Amino acid sequence: MTLALVSKRYQATDELDAIEQCFAKGWSEGLPVVPPTEPRVRAMLEAAALEPQRQVGFIRDRAVSVTAEKVAINAVMAGCRPEYMPVVVAAVEAICDARFSYHGPSTSTGGAGMLLIVSGPIARELDVNCGDNLFGPGWRSNLTIGRAVRLVMRNVCGSIPGLLDRGTLGHPGKVSYVIAENETESPWAPLHVERGFRPEQSVVTVMAAESPHQVYNQLSSTAEGVLTTLADAMRISGNVMGQPHYCVVVAGEHMRTIAADGWDKKRIRHYLWEHTRNSHAHLKRTHRMSGALEAGDEAKQRALLASPDDILVVAAGGRAGSFSCFIPGWSSAKSSQAVSKEVRR
Amino acid sequence: MIEFLDPTTEAATQTIAYAPRPTALAGKRVALVDNTKYNSDRLLAKIGDILKTEYGVAEWQMYRKHNASVPAHAEIIAAIEKTADVMVAGIGD
Repeated sequence: MTLALVSKRYQATDELDAIEQCFAKGWSEGLPVVPPTEPRVRAMLEAAALEPQRQVGFIRDRAVSVTAEKVAINAVMAGCRPEYMPVVVAAVEAICDARFSYHGPSTSTGGAGMLLIVSGPIARELDVNCGDNLFGPGWRSNLTIGRAVRLVMRNVCGSIPGLLDRGTLGHPGKVSYVIAENETESPWAPLHVERGFRPEQSVVTVMAAESPHQVYNQLSSTAEGVLTTLADAMRISGNVMGQPHYCVVVAGEHMRTIAADGWDKKRIRHYLWEHTRNSHAHLKRTHRMSGALEAGDEAKQRALLASPDDILVVAAGGRAGSFSCFIPGWSSAKSSQAVSKEVRR
Repeated sequence: MIEFLDPTTEAATQTIAYAPRPTALAGKRVALVDNTKYNSDRLLAKIGDILKTEYGVAEWQMYRKHNASVPAHAEIIAAIEKTADVMVAGIGD
């Protein structure tokens, strides 16, 4: 067992000089970083009970080994508190999982962000925001955990914008994209329980994702009404022909409306799956499906998702306001699957 | 004075053995690897035809990956080893 830190060391006159050196060396995504000194890095490793050279993940297609030491250094730079480290580690394990297929979503012109959904007790312990301004500013854990993952991608995996990260447009979630589920107020089984974990486990689910699309329905007081609007907005979105994952975030008022009608997450998924199909005729007329229009194309339907189970339903967002959102996954669920990992402490 | 640590990982070095390149294409069997993106099969077929008419290759055969985001799977690599002298692979968007 070795507890030595093997990373190369640099000297700076003070913190500001170190920050500027990190910029100059290309180690930042554009914001100042916390200089990763040895005591700070060791505090990260201790919080996750990890030896420095322990391999957190291995990206096969790129032959990249991600060690705990490098994850800890990048977590310090991102501004994480040490207690966030186990969540960062679980997220890095998830993006390195073969089912996630890191090389695709990290390099693609499709410009995916790494959406992290934290569920279970640790979300509340670390104050990971699940309420107002869900995707917005204001919470250190949300902003720095996602930033740490992105810095690992940049500094360890080589996913540098313009080089190996060739996103055509990208989106703001590529800086940080972390939410938690509002398990306290949700009437439904939490995401991690639906994905096979016990309620008392803490879990991070990662999905390669486009940006959130907000959907308004301030009119309907029924589950079917709200979800009809949501399905209508979803139907032509994302990689329409690819059959990706979707994450659907149901916020406070819609959550209560849907739950009042007795609908659970499974019913939500099935309803959305059934009501987001497109006719072959429409897909051809709008140049999404190749080929000439044929007899029967009006009746022939293509599902937006391969399976209702490819929709991740999350109860989160502010209590007030009749909004929800959907997030198209990158490419196709076949190319990159959402992956859940337990947070170990 | 403060000391800080390098967050990057040096690329692991490895030696890759390249197959010897043919000096001419005449009479060679060509494998075309379709990455499954729109029209990639049509583009590759066009390339295959040009290789036949202009470079005298004997034949071409198309192989299809599972999807664009993964490396070619073992079965098609094994088939290409058996059936082709030259391969054309790439990624298109």
